[in-house]
Amino acid sequence: MLPSDEILTTVEMIQKENLDVRAVTLGISLLDCHQADVALTCLAIKAKIRRHAGALVSTCETISAEFAIPVVNKRIAVTPIAMVGAGFDADGFVQIAHALDEIASEVGVDFLGGFSADVSNGMTEGDRQLIAAIPQALAETSKVCASINVGSTRYGINMDAVVLMGQTVKALAERSADTGGFAAAKFVVFTNQPGDNPFMAGAIHGVGQPEVVINVGVSGPGVIASALKRKIAQAGEQQLGLQDLAEEIKRTAFRVTRCGELIGRQVARKLGVPFGVVDLSLAPTPKMGDSVGEILQILGVDAIGAPGSTAIVALLNDAVKKGGTFASQSVGGLSGAFIPVCEDQALADAVRDDSLVLEKLEAMTSVCSVGLDMIAIPGSVDAGTISAIIADEMAIGMINGKTTAVRLIPVPGKEAGEFVSFGGLFGESAIAPVRNTGKSARFIAFGGKIPAPIHSLKN
Amino acid sequence: MSENQWDNPGSSTGQQFVLSIMSKDHVGIIHQVSKAISSLDGNIADVRQSVLSGYFTMILVASFPAGVTRRAVERKLAEADANSETAIEVMVCEADEDALAALAPDPKNSYVLTATGADKVGIVARVSQFCVLHNINILDLSTTVSDGDYVMIMVIDLAQYDPTRRADVSLVRQDLKTFSQESGLKVVLQHYDIFRAVNEINPPVLR
Repeated sequence: MLPSDEILTTVEMIQKENLDVRAVTLGISLLDCHQADVALTCLAIKAKIRRHAGALVSTCETISAEFAIPVVNKRIAVTPIAMVGAGFDADGFVQIAHALDEIASEVGVDFLGGFSADVSNGMTEGDRQLIAAIPQALAETSKVCASINVGSTRYGINMDAVVLMGQTVKALAERSADTGGFAAAKFVVFTNQPGDNPFMAGAIHGVGQPEVVINVGVSGPGVIASALKRKIAQAGEQQLGLQDLAEEIKRTAFRVTRCGELIGRQVARKLGVPFGVVDLSLAPTPKMGDSVGEILQILGVDAIGAPGSTAIVALLNDAVKKGGTFASQSVGGLSGAFIPVCEDQALADAVRDDSLVLEKLEAMTSVCSVGLDMIAIPGSVDAGTISAIIADEMAIGMINGKTTAVRLIPVPGKEAGEFVSFGGLFGESAIAPVRNTGKSARFIAFGGKIPAPIHSLKN
Repeated sequence: MSENQWDNPGSSTGQQFVLSIMSKDHVGIIHQVSKAISSLDGNIADVRQSVLSGYFTMILVASFPAGVTRRAVERKLAEADANSETAIEVMVCEADEDALAALAPDPKNSYVLTATGADKVGIVARVSQFCVLHNINILDLSTTVSDGDYVMIMVIDLAQYDPTRRADVSLVRQDLKTFSQESGLKVVLQHYDIFRAVNEINPPVLR
């Protein structure tokens, strides 16, 4: 038998510290579903998803019960729909979104990602029609998530697309004004978007993936926070250097990852589907004690956003990866610490208290995954300014060879300091002020593209 | 833990005994016991040893050539006792072939059950009674004190819990929930693979 202290620590992790598997995501290729017309394509898509994902939710629940580890979300990621629906017009893409929404409800998953396109080096007609369809598609469906990859380290940033993205975010929020602009929470703009990411809203089943695959997103901010508190209580703050705390994070990430991989592989095996990757992201929820922000406070900043916050996020992100890569046979997806403001109570409080501002969040995203995520901004912010915020974030990803993303919600009719609540895992937050609005219009008006960065002379 | 690959080729025709040894712990107990066994050409096949609160205990299976009787083994170990600074209590019995041939439990059915409550008389008795009533075999048991509470940690085998419904752990959990309410003990049941996965370098084999 294992030593009793290891057994008790493990029991504690599961019982008290919110150890769970955040997402089991089934990736399904829809490349063979394009038919002569939209209606037939929708039927083919639904039939294929039904065939592969019909047993996903029940299998996750069986494995989850057997191991008594919750699988919080069951999801589907599909081939970027711009490829599947190429040749159809925006109306056709909206119909496909409805078909995806219906089949997602039928098989019982929480969300379906992949209403997506990669336009990093230019836009096909299919991409253009899909982007035009996004506001209506997401406003009229509940489970479909959309993402657009507008940049990459290889190709640079497609600024014409970035212009459209600002307009799309605005249109999404305005079409869903009655829910605080919630449709915008189902849309994310990427640079270097991974094709095997199990987390929403940016999950897709990218090119180069197998026919079907199970990818798993682990969670665990609560477990890491508790491990750090325990370490500090045992050793005393005076006795510890940051390397000791990094080591504790690393070990804890190992445990969390192992647990996720065990559950994911069991699900994959039972479904007869190959296992893809474990995504090592620390994904917070609005639940108390499941916050990445709290880890920052434990590591020494009294206010999140205070000087030192970026360094702490860097330490955290790196330690999570180090622990996780050793634990797992195959790591992929986004793999890092998320800082989604609405979904993380401590971060949302920091925005409310004005200690955490957009610019500091941007700095923090340069050392962690995944970007400016779930940030509520005033509904009055114009599309051009949103495009410019997106451009800044994309530039960080492009230059640093990493994934960055933007998921902003310009809450209609609300101004900085007011509150918005999206409910459930999407949480709530004060609306963050955006400075210098309207001052980037000339930059955005240029359009075109930002050329791919140089790959040597790194400084 | 098999030594018979190295020596004592004649063991297969001989007699196997199970020996249980207990003594106040001191240097040299294992040497005295193993010397006594080897002097009878006995071969130790498997052994487990533990020390608890200053007391040494060991259980071992050993095979002896034909003709070595249980009495002979007892006498030899009595000599070890006589030569020891503290008493070495020994129990010897003939090994039951069926018991020796029994397969190790299938790890698929191995779970860890922890029961936590205020330290008082009868916790182990109550929990083990639950196990008896539900045909749950306890493979390993230890107890500890954590945050002032008494904690019982068991590795259990659910293979015989209910042969008709054994895949359904949720039934065990339901019964445990009732037991927890009645006994006031906090009870947690997790698959052993979870503990192995998060604590050991080698990940558990998928099954």
